[in-house]
Formats: sequence, structure tokens, C-alpha cells
Amino acid sequence: MMLSGRAVKSFGGYPRGLVFASMLSFSAHAELDLSPLQDADWSRSNAAHLASRAGFGATQEELDSLALLSAQDAVEQFIVGKGQPLAVEFDASDIFDVGLDPFPPSRPATTTLARRQGHALGVSVKPAGNRPLQPVVNKFFYWLRASRLETDRVAYWWANRMLSTPHPLQEKIALFWHGHFATNEDKVRDYRKMLQQLALFHDLGLGRFRELMVAVATDPAMLVFLDAGVNVKDSPNENFAREIMELFTMGVGHYGEKDVQEAARAFTGWNYRGLDFHLVEQEHDRQMKTFLGRRGNFDGVEIIDLIMDQPSTAQYIGAKLYRYFVNQDLRAEDEAQLGRLLSDLEFDIAAFLRTLFLSNDFYDSGNRGSHIKSPVELMVSTYRFLGLSEVPGVPDFNVVSGALGQRLMHPPTVAGWSQGRSWITPSLMFERNNFILEVLYPDIGFVPPDRYPSYTAEIVNVQDRLRQGMSISAATRPTGISGGEQTMAASNLMADRDEDFNTRLGSMRGWQMALERVKPTPRRPAAINLSAWVLDAGCLTSRDAVNLLAKTFFLVPLQASDKQRLTAFLSKELGGNTLPEAATYLEDPLRKLLHVMLSLPEYQLG
Amino acid sequence: MKRRQFLAAASAAAGMVQMPWLSAAARGDAADKILVAVELSGGNDGLNTIVPFADDAYYQRRPTLGIKRTATLELDDFYGFNPGMLGLQRLWQSGDLAIVHGCGYERPSYSHFNAMAYWHTGVPHRGDEFGWMGRVADQIAHRRQDDLLINIGSQQSLAVKSARHTPLVFDDPQRFQRDRWMSDIPADAITSVTSKNDARAFLRAVNQSAQISSQRIRQAWEAYQSPIDYGIAPMDLPKVAACIDAGLSTPLYHVSFRNNAFDTHVQQPALHRRLLSYACDGIHGFIQDLERMGHADRVVVMVYSEFGRRVPENANLGTDHGSANVMFLAGRPVRGGHYGRQPSLTDLVDGDNMAYTLDFRSVYATAIQGWLGVAASPVLKQPFEILPIFSAA
Repeated sequence: MMLSGRAVKSFGGYPRGLVFASMLSFSAHAELDLSPLQDADWSRSNAAHLASRAGFGATQEELDSLALLSAQDAVEQFIVGKGQPLAVEFDASDIFDVGLDPFPPSRPATTTLARRQGHALGVSVKPAGNRPLQPVVNKFFYWLRASRLETDRVAYWWANRMLSTPHPLQEKIALFWHGHFATNEDKVRDYRKMLQQLALFHDLGLGRFRELMVAVATDPAMLVFLDAGVNVKDSPNENFAREIMELFTMGVGHYGEKDVQEAARAFTGWNYRGLDFHLVEQEHDRQMKTFLGRRGNFDGVEIIDLIMDQPSTAQYIGAKLYRYFVNQDLRAEDEAQLGRLLSDLEFDIAAFLRTLFLSNDFYDSGNRGSHIKSPVELMVSTYRFLGLSEVPGVPDFNVVSGALGQRLMHPPTVAGWSQGRSWITPSLMFERNNFILEVLYPDIGFVPPDRYPSYTAEIVNVQDRLRQGMSISAATRPTGISGGEQTMAASNLMADRDEDFNTRLGSMRGWQMALERVKPTPRRPAAINLSAWVLDAGCLTSRDAVNLLAKTFFLVPLQASDKQRLTAFLSKELGGNTLPEAATYLEDPLRKLLHVMLSLPEYQLG
Repeated sequence: MKRRQFLAAASAAAGMVQMPWLSAAARGDAADKILVAVELSGGNDGLNTIVPFADDAYYQRRPTLGIKRTATLELDDFYGFNPGMLGLQRLWQSGDLAIVHGCGYERPSYSHFNAMAYWHTGVPHRGDEFGWMGRVADQIAHRRQDDLLINIGSQQSLAVKSARHTPLVFDDPQRFQRDRWMSDIPADAITSVTSKNDARAFLRAVNQSAQISSQRIRQAWEAYQSPIDYGIAPMDLPKVAACIDAGLSTPLYHVSFRNNAFDTHVQQPALHRRLLSYACDGIHGFIQDLERMGHADRVVVMVYSEFGRRVPENANLGTDHGSANVMFLAGRPVRGGHYGRQPSLTDLVDGDNMAYTLDFRSVYATAIQGWLGVAASPVLKQPFEILPIFSAA
């Protein structure tokens, strides 16, 4: 996809005459204009664009103060943050017990382990009696549920940071790296490791890429996620090395299969102990390796350093940052320029972003309003525009962001989230509109997902049947399926009815145990007062209100005809055209108006 | 038929412009045929799916992971099904399952994302802007229609991306609705915009497509009730059944077992068996459901994955990314049996991988031309062998 209307001012350091000559030739290709914006060109609308991309949008007051700064000072405020950083630590629930780490990869692996050694997860197998493995199975499901619920609390905590931080770029880049080094709690199964990885993104996300890469590669969450622990000298497992090269640094096509195998050898023995990196010496291959044409007895960090020297790495990361922060439709021929820039800046992410955010290219009309907001951007920016000081508990942040396709701590695959248009499908468009409705009119039928097992609802039925006095076998039998064994599905026929334990019972008991120990998520809905806001802003007519809301929430201008319809809509709801007269019943009409406005496709643009 | 008439009346009453949705019969019998692509994402281990127990090399390469003959579900005297595959075994026994061996392509990619893109576009290495199913739709109708492709998932698959048509993508039909709030003007009454901003134009187009189709899909889902046991995780096949039963004229559906689930690098046996049981239960349930509804003669299911797995097991009770793989075509119209040729397990290539014996696009061509009756060469950009799965050999 070509970008339209891109200004060309800089010529990348070539002698002017030469550039001029090449511009005349047919094949000449204009580079991105990364020269700094003139201070005279700085404006309130530029500030809104910057705040939308380098953060999660700005309120009108924030824009007023940004507009008074120079372009350089405004950008710097995003790069280094404004004032003291937030000092709110994650308030962890007391859910971890000794014996839970390392957590076996599956329930069958857990019961196999317990049978072999007489205990697992810190729980002993009963020497005799009914269902001797049941306590182990209960504990397995306990941690599965508790860690998942606690991870949801981590995500809530993070979303609140995004909303209230004085340093929004730190959160925005952490979100970028979370998608780049995509790690999913479903596999890691330990909120502590997820939290620790997130701290890396926060602390090192704007630093030098090499440091972050090494830190992530030696961090337990990634080591678990990419099965690094099973990569051993006598049988190298390529998963870890492959993803580092393909997804985290160079991109596919810049190395061979042999390089993957050799790199895998260098990462052998990389493992973790609890929350620390641990090199298992006897599993580590210290022999000679040939990697990207170089020979040596490289270890994993040396492999990463060799990868850093490849021009393809700077280009891959530079282009990905540009697509995330500036425009998804970057031309392939512009990638090399961004790679050179990142390389010249010695992979300093903050310096690279400073150059981008100050550039003429960034503020070019072809790049403004070209970005389709990710679900998390949409939600956090909506809350910011509404002036909220905390993320509402209703609707549930994780349920909504998940339905929209971006559940924090749960990227769909190791490739992370696809950005841009892939956020939008016909049904997701509606989901986005419905999110607005749920914020403005909280659902009185809301069921908190951290108190009710909505994704394994069958265990509530199991509980009911047990309370009626049914036997465990009877209470845990699959229900709602007609027909005999001829037509029953294999997965239902074979549902675990091992005599040593019962999986559904374990699942139910695990939930009960998790409920006891995971702290509840506060469920306050958004506190909104649109009428006070609109009246305090001096709006007198329906048109004033529409204009204020449009200015506050939209990055692209609305069509005049749309504004007319919206104005007419509000006037009809008010039974008149003047706001002060309607002050006592203004709130509902304004909320209806805002719902209709934010359902416009243009609201998805940032 | 009664349900269709009812729905037609209902939507006419709702004042919706929906003629294209109800014209299955009007489009002639060729257009009545339906292809459902089922993707097993992550790289399904074909060797432990259709187990060649009579080949000693299989157990030599897989001393721990190799499934013993006695543990497999009976297929014939050379192969057995993975023990989780009761669903496909039942289809095999009723003659409704074609097993296509050795599917792959030259210089295979071992990257999930590249390999998947090759399978989605049907253009290995070079790739394409549009998906192979999208190009089938382009071939079926040259003028834009919004009812040719349905993709059930949280994101649109590249496989259904079309030059002319907007695929209908949804996940949960019940949530496929814009909730209103006592509003006199629905948001869709807002005028359209002609914009130089590509993203803005894109959003407008998707929004319009959503308005047209959502009610139809929700009605289909609400009207659907089935006593059939689809198992624990039937992918999205009951939703496809609902759409078919509601009389949608859509010929092309795409569903998937999501999130790279089949990427079994470690602790494979129990996990793989469970995944296969879910997938096969879903497919079997779907075909049974079609029988019940009287549509079984119109529908074929094609099962694929982005690659198979390496022949030797790894040291972690798992398998790594491989190449050639088994594919399935299932349904009443299928002539059941083996097709293609099992690759050698001793003459391995490219680091312990099977050499493919059949280009996977031959299976695409068979589905496109042999089943749907659409010329395959223009879609796949070159001719491929059509397997005798839908016609007498």
C-alpha cells in the first residue's frame, strides 16, 4: 500500500546535486523525511497526534499545555515522562505455595509424576483409600485457576498504569514488546513469571535493544514459553533459537536452517530455577559452532551479539517500530533507511523514537488518522478521554479486550498480535461499539468472571449435583448429550473417569480453593458526568455539545453532514436546542449521543 | 424448506435487502455445493495421526512416541488411526473419508507463519496478496457479493482474502450484533464518506458489511438446535451447520483449531491424542448433523495443517517442525480410501524430513474443480493433478 501525500524534504545526507539528479530519474525513490519538524509547524492538532501515538491519547487540558511547548519539549515529555513516575506496586494475592514450581506441563504429566514419586506439586499421594491422587489433581487445578485469575489482576493493574501514568510512552512501548516477545500465561502458567517479564518491558523497553533481548531470553517466562528447558546438549530443541531469529530479531529469510541448528546448540542448558535464569552446565554444548558464517564455541549471549551485528536485525526492529507508532503501511523500500537509523543510534529505542516523533514524516497528513487503534488502545484512550482516574470494574477489562482480540498476557501465538486492519472484522466492529455502550450504561446483569467460572461453567452443575447428594461419578458425568455410545463423541466417552482421581471434581475443587485466595477485583463502573462537563465547558447548544465531543474523542474531523444529524438527534432527545434549560435531564441524552458518536467507524482511528 | 420460508418472510418483514442470501437454489446446482476448510494450526503430526504400524522404520525413528498397533483404532492392515480419532474412524467405516498421503511442496518452510501463509495463499515462497479461497470466490462471481465466504474466527484468515468480495468474519454469533440504546437514529444511518484515508475507507466498508449480515447470522444461530454430540471442542463447525441449515448460499467456509494448538514440541502423546479427538469429534458430529438436516450431499470438509512434523522424535517426548503431511477430505460426496503415496521413512531429506510425494495444491485443485466445479488452474495459477475423489477413477 502506497502512502499518499508524503512530503519530501530530507535526502538522507547525500549531496544535493546528486539527489536532484536522481529525483529526475524514473526509478528514484524518495526517502522518509525524518528531518525535525520546525517549531513554527507545532500545533494543538500535532500534539493530539503525538499523544495518540506515543501514548493513549490526551484530554483537552493536556493538549492545551502540550500545545504551549516547543515540538522538542513536547516530544521529550513523552520520551522521559512528566514528573514523578507512578509508584503503585502490584498488590499480589498470597497464592503461591512451595512445590508448585516447576509446574508440570499438563494434568496427565502431573498424575504420572505423582504416581512415580509418590507426590507432586507439594502434595502427597494417599497411601490407600478412595481416589488417592485426588488431592494432587485438586492442587493442579487450584494453581491453574489461581494463576490465571491473578494474571487477570496483573492485566488490570497494567491497564490502570496505562490510564494514569505520567509516562505513557513507557506503557505504550511495554505493550509493543509484549506483542513482540509474545508470551502467553496459558502456557507459562505462573503469574509471577508474567509479572517479572512485564517489569523488563517497563524497565528496559526504551533502552538498548540488545539488553532487552538478552534479558528476555534469560527470563523464566520466555524460557518456559519456548521450551528452552528441554533444549539439551544431546538433543538440541530448535524452538527457542528459531523464534529468536525469525520473530525477535532478523526476520525470516536472513539465515539458514543450519544456522537455526547451530544457534540451538549455543542455547542448550538454558533453564530457570524459580524466578531466576539457571545454566545447566552439563547440558550446555561448549563445542565449536558455525553461525552466520562465523566459527567459535559461542554461547547464547554471543549468538545474540552476532545477530545484533546483522543489518537485517536493525531493519526488522526499526520497521516494526515504525509500523506500530507511525503507519502500518510502510513501504518495503523504506525499511533500510529505518534500519540504518536504528543502527546509527546503536539500537537506542528512546533515541530512535525521539527522531521519529520529531520528524516531518510523523506529522505528514498521510500518516495522521491512519492508525487503527488496537483494542487496548481503544479502551484505555476512551477511559482517558472520559477523564476517568481508574479502569472501571464493569465491564471487565480482560473480558472486553479479549473479545476484541487483545487480552493482555494472552497473545494468540508466539508471533504476537497482528496490527492494523486485522483488528477489524464485521463482528469486531460491533463489539467495539458495544464496549462503548457497556461503559456508558453498565450491565446490571454483570457476573464477575473472577468469582464465577464462566469459561468452565459445567463445574457449577457438578457442584449442584454433589450438593444434591449424588456420587462423584454420577455428579461428574457429561450432561446434555443424547444418544448412546454409538454416536457419542470420543472426547465425551473418554472423559477422565480414572479411578485414582476425577478431573471434573478437581476442576471444581480447584476453583473453590482459588476463590479463597485470589483477591477480588473492584467492580465499580465508570463514574461519568457528561452534563457537568459539557456545561462547565460553556456549551450552550446541541451543536456546541457535538463539537466538544467531536474535538475530545476524534482524531479525524467528522463530516459536516454527520455533525448535523448528531446535532438534530441531541436536540430531539432534549426537546429543544439549548443545554442550560435541559440541565436537570441532560445526562441521558448526552450519553445516547456519545454512544452513537463513538459507534462511528472513524472512532477507531488514532 | 419450512424454516427457509420462515426466515425469508422474517427478513422481508424486517425490511432487509437480502436477496443474495436466499438464492442458493436460484444459482443452480453447482452453486449448491459447499466446501468447509478446517485448519489444524501449529503443525499436526501426520505420522502419529495415520500411524503406519506396518513400517518398521516408524518404530525405529520413534521408539518412545511410536503408537503400537494394538493401541491404534483399526483402519487397515498397514495403517491405524491415532486412538483419539474415533470420529474419523467412523467416517472411514462409512466410506466418507479420503486420506491423502505425502502432501507438501518444494523447499518447505519450517516457520509456522511462513508455511501457513503458503498454505493460505496456495503460492509457496512467492506468496500472494489474496488467499486461495478468496480467489475461488473471485472465480465464482466477478461482481461483488457479500455472501461467498464465511470465516469463523477472531481474526480474518489470509485464506479468505478476496480481491472482490468482503468475507464475513465472526466469532460468536450471539455477540454479532450492535446493541442499541433507545436511539432514534441508528449509527448506520450516518452518511458514508469518500476519503483519501485508506484506513477510514476500509472501516466504512467493513461497517457496511456488518450491518447487512449480522442479523442473518444471528437468526441462523438462534434457529439452530442440534441433538448431535460434537464433542468437547468442535472448533466452529456447529456454527457452520447453523448457517447451512438457515439456507445461506455461502459456498466457502473456513474454520480452525486455533492458536497453534498442534505445535507439540514437548509431552506430545496425551496432548496430541486429545487434540485429535476434539478435531475428529467435531468433524464427525458436523457430518452427522448435515445428515440429520438433509445437507450431507452438498458439503465436503477439507482438513489441513501448515506442516507435518519431523520423523524422529525429539528428546522431550515431542516432535519438531517437519514437512510432508497427511490431508483429509470428508463427507458423503467423497469416495473414501487412500490417495497419494506415503513418503519413505528411511530416505529422508532436509534434516530428517519426509520427501513430499504430492503437491498439496493437488488437493486444493481436487476440492475446487473436482468438488465445487470451478476451474482450478486460474485460481492456483498453474495446473495440478485432480485426484479421483469425486468421480469414478
